[in-house]
Amino acid sequence: MTVNAENCTKKALIAHLFRRAGFGITFDELAGYLPIDYADIVEQLLYPELQPELDQDVVRRYNIDQNSLMLIESSQANWMYRIINTKRPLEEKIALFWHDLFATAYSKLNHAKAVVNQTDTFRRCGLGNFRTLLLELSRDPAMIFWLDNKDNHRGSPNENYGRELLELFSMGIGNYSEDDVKACARAFSGWTIANSVYMSERASRDSIWPHGRLDWQFVYVPEDHDDSDKTFLGQTGRFNGDDVIDIIVDNPATSWFIASKLYSFFVSDKPDESVIQYLSQEFSKTGGDIRKVMRSLFLSETFASDKTRLARVKSPAELVAGTAKLAGSHSFPDWTTVNLAMDANFMGQEILNPPTVEGWHTGIEWIDTGNLVERINSTALEIGDTQQPGVRSIINKVRTHGGVCTAKDLVDLSLDAMCQFEVSATTKESLLKYADMKGPLYFDKEDQIGCSEQRVGEMLQLIVATREYQLA
Amino acid sequence: MISTYKFEYSHTVGFLANQGRGFNNPVDLAFDEHGLMYVLNRAGPEVGIRLPYKRITICNANEDYLGEFGTGGQGDGDLWWPSSIAISKDHRIFVADEALNRVTVFDMKGQFLNKWGVKGGREGEFNRISYIAFDSEDNLLVSDSLNNRIQLFDKDGHVINVWGIPGAEDGCFNMPWGVCVDKGGNIYVADWRNDRIQKFDPSGQFIRKWDSDHLATVKFNRPASLAVDSEFNIYVADWGNERVIVIDQEGKLITELYGDSVPSKWAVDYFDANPVEYQERLKADLNTDFTTGRTDLRDKSARIEKFLWGPTAIKLDSEGRVFIVDSCRHRVQVYKPVPHN
Repeated sequence: MTVNAENCTKKALIAHLFRRAGFGITFDELAGYLPIDYADIVEQLLYPELQPELDQDVVRRYNIDQNSLMLIESSQANWMYRIINTKRPLEEKIALFWHDLFATAYSKLNHAKAVVNQTDTFRRCGLGNFRTLLLELSRDPAMIFWLDNKDNHRGSPNENYGRELLELFSMGIGNYSEDDVKACARAFSGWTIANSVYMSERASRDSIWPHGRLDWQFVYVPEDHDDSDKTFLGQTGRFNGDDVIDIIVDNPATSWFIASKLYSFFVSDKPDESVIQYLSQEFSKTGGDIRKVMRSLFLSETFASDKTRLARVKSPAELVAGTAKLAGSHSFPDWTTVNLAMDANFMGQEILNPPTVEGWHTGIEWIDTGNLVERINSTALEIGDTQQPGVRSIINKVRTHGGVCTAKDLVDLSLDAMCQFEVSATTKESLLKYADMKGPLYFDKEDQIGCSEQRVGEMLQLIVATREYQLA
Repeated sequence: MISTYKFEYSHTVGFLANQGRGFNNPVDLAFDEHGLMYVLNRAGPEVGIRLPYKRITICNANEDYLGEFGTGGQGDGDLWWPSSIAISKDHRIFVADEALNRVTVFDMKGQFLNKWGVKGGREGEFNRISYIAFDSEDNLLVSDSLNNRIQLFDKDGHVINVWGIPGAEDGCFNMPWGVCVDKGGNIYVADWRNDRIQKFDPSGQFIRKWDSDHLATVKFNRPASLAVDSEFNIYVADWGNERVIVIDQEGKLITELYGDSVPSKWAVDYFDANPVEYQERLKADLNTDFTTGRTDLRDKSARIEKFLWGPTAIKLDSEGRVFIVDSCRHRVQVYKPVPHN
């Protein structure tokens, strides 16, 4: 499959790619990508490690609470800042994808940094081999705590992790038996965290004493591992956890399951079996190489097609971070980024604290009457601040058009500057109607400049309230 | 000479508390003439429920809790991003705030007296004040981090001297943090993003620097703060390396401290009241690093409780004891010099 987006300009296609593979794009960033072939842009995104890492030292210095990440709000703010300012957008997006799929929540752990450490694993391994990722996940202390594998002992198995590994993380219900669940759990017995009793005691009391949280550490306790024969998905042996993961990754149900999850997160809320089949084959063919599957996804005809562009509802994190990125409002550590994280919370997405092990209900479920008001108010507040550098940049782009800016110019230039290249005729008509009410903008009259700039800000506020802006 | 001393862990002061007896992300401390400690708690994030965590705790080195003052907010006397604290010879407490870009002055009882400073880049203005210290004339040195300069004020906020521009050349700065003065009046600056220490004479003239090119065995990683003892040895909170190092004027390493904390008195009180948790703690092995393959020092400090984690300030008391503000562990680790052959 190759990209063939006949009804789409290159600008619109790049903007679409960055809405899906990242959290949006600014006009200046887009200008830098325009001379580059689409497939090469995809390639750049697929290798985030070639881009500079975000300077976390400066974040930790000024946001001292984000050095220890003891509190959930600090940790959420830290991720929000990272999403907005990263030069590695796909690294953050794939981390969010795995965070949703392998949903692990602060609410049970009482240990925000443990969940943050898990997301670091997703950054490190999220575009690599799925086998490695599952192995890392199974060793991840937050997951071990979240799904009770610390209580999974030889002779006294706890099936929670084994069950969810099969049902929610890799194969999907209907592709394994209860006996497989039992065998899977036994294979992971002895995979625990150091000092598990003391750490559990602290967590149950939400004890931060005497000196804050202690990072949990994975340990394998061989004497607590059930080393006897197990029959798992038709194979028999003295399986340990890594053997079970090998069998899971090689199972066709896993390739379909992961392909369908990638499709619904990165392509469309509406399933398309032919595309999922294609991605599933890529998964199997490459032995679970997520980077290769993602390459196929981004280069597929479906990804670029009319039916896919602006066909997904933005998650709160995408909406809030994407708007802040456009506004340029959080490009250096300050004390207000936590408010963005709170806004996403109010819209129904508490990053690092998903509601259940099933993650968030996405798509149209992101929007109800209450959430929609919150989505519009939050983004309008952010983009309407004409002193923010990103908004200034948009205003300057409108101003370069000339001394007088008609209503049509204002709408066209504002949409363009926000990389909102595809809006319906109805939306455009509404924007024009509003712009027309106050007549042209005058940037060549000293006493009109302030008022004209304010009107650009108001137009941006109206654009974030459009149907199209709520979509990715 | 100090080189005939080594440093021995003495004890720990403090534990985590959101209000009252304890600290919350302490970033600096100051001693008054009686040896009382005023510990500046930055806390965070800045959401309503957590604003009261910001405060100044008064205690002594023996962990007698004597009170607190201040709270989170942006009004007069409030704290938002408090960054540093210093006490003048005429008994006033000066607190820098790098969000509000101001210095707030309190009396020794914690009553608000006045404030000065606004955001900006002109002389006398600030862009994130990271540290303050009084010089030998009892004027206030200010590390003006995002303006990449040091400013010297009298106690009423009038500018006396300003030096430094952005850069990596001698006398330039890249987000300076800590500043201190030796007994000769020379000024030392932790030039944070240049990973070096610079020394200036009292008028701000560059004298020398200690960086990776001028140190045989030491490489700073984002040094936050520093102190100089009576023998001119330099104590550096090597924040990015999660340690404190002590060097002499020639840059020779005297010692490095990574933290040896055991529970403080206040922590023991907590355990007395929570025996079940304490019993499980006694059974736990908290000093072994079980994690292999991850050598990041921050991660290690997050795993092992006794280690320093985010050391932001160092102060020396009249006995030569070293007080290290251990910001992420909400405590002060104290070391004492002991003679050795």
